Amino acid sequence: MHCIESKNLSKTFDKIKAVHDLSFTIEENKITGLVGRNGAGKTTLLKLIAGYLLPTTGEINVFGRNPFNNLQVAANLIFIDDQLALPENLSLEETLAAVGQFYPNWQAELARALLDYFSLQPRQYYANLSKGMKSSFNMIIGIAARCPLTIFDEPTVGMDAAVRKDFYRALLKDFMQYPRTIIFSSHLLSEIEELLDDLLLIKAGEKYLHLPLDELRNYAVGLTGRESIIRKMTGQEQVLFQQKLGRDSIYLVARNTFDQQTLQQARLQGVEISPVATDDLCIYLTAQHKGGIDDVFSRN
Amino acid sequence: MILNPDSLKPIYIQIAEWLELEILQDAIKSDEKIYSQYQLAEMFNVNPATAAKGLSLLAEENFLYKKRGLGMFVAPQAKERIRQKRINENLQQLVFEVVAEAKRLQVPPEELVNMIQRATQQAVKEE
Repeated sequence: MHCIESKNLSKTFDKIKAVHDLSFTIEENKITGLVGRNGAGKTTLLKLIAGYLLPTTGEINVFGRNPFNNLQVAANLIFIDDQLALPENLSLEETLAAVGQFYPNWQAELARALLDYFSLQPRQYYANLSKGMKSSFNMIIGIAARCPLTIFDEPTVGMDAAVRKDFYRALLKDFMQYPRTIIFSSHLLSEIEELLDDLLLIKAGEKYLHLPLDELRNYAVGLTGRESIIRKMTGQEQVLFQQKLGRDSIYLVARNTFDQQTLQQARLQGVEISPVATDDLCIYLTAQHKGGIDDVFSRN
Repeated sequence: MILNPDSLKPIYIQIAEWLELEILQDAIKSDEKIYSQYQLAEMFNVNPATAAKGLSLLAEENFLYKKRGLGMFVAPQAKERIRQKRINENLQQLVFEVVAEAKRLQVPPEELVNMIQRATQQAVKEE
């Protein structure tokens, strides 16, 4: 079943198209990663899904309904970002108790155990927490609420690597106990890719890729070796990124439409074939030019 | 066991290969129950759907069979068939790569064979 359906969705701010003609569907009980460069429209899209914003044109449906000003949808989703409006005069434990009342699936014990695990003091106040601890607290709310649609907009900002790792595992474990639809925007794709079912990559407000993670891994290959050999085997339209190495060598990232035989042949001719990290791949896919920062410095 | 994020292979294939290794090393024998998708998801910290894909890959090759309501079990002769498959695919591939590197380094075939024999003897000794 579809949890989210978007048709030609657009949102314009100050004549700038933050989200442009976006159509996609997200299935129920899957974890989807939302990635894109800064300003690609990730947060705007998530807010459209959550019903915080009204689309300029197009349509968005969540649980088969228009989410804007819809109580039914609002009751079944939670949106976690770094601007949660939490009551300032309540301690963390009081906040959890208050928040819990809004969510029928609220896991009070789990929330308490996570609070303890991440060394947050129940008597502390949210405003006095560090950036990473605020993120941890937000994340605890997001997990413990067990909402049928859970949206995390860059939930790991400020968290150290160890906390992020624990957070991913906590999310996975709770997801297995209680499957639900999760959307997760992050710049750290390499850290979250194993958790994900699908990836939605947006570029300048438009959908660029929407595919299962497994396919992303095979989407491109890196080829290192003599330029003449590599050029011969790759079509211009396959090239995603290239960088000269030494005198006549090149590192080239190409869309992987090669058959096994071509790759085998290339290997025997001394071309090294390497996987492309999904992080890097997303950078190449969303780049404006096929060069990179080097081009800025080699203009003259 | 840690998955290799630098591999070209999708995660579910890496999980399938790890399970093959478990069968090859007799960790799980014929007609014994193999890990469930949730156990695998926990072990490898991956999405359970990915783990399930790894299992169904082995089931498609008939290395595993399903018992209704009980889970997946290792098929009879799975070990030998996995061994054959790996010789025909992985080992063959590795040999190609070794030969290509030898060619680049202009190592004559006789010397390459010698190197392989020496390595084999060493491996036997270490056992």
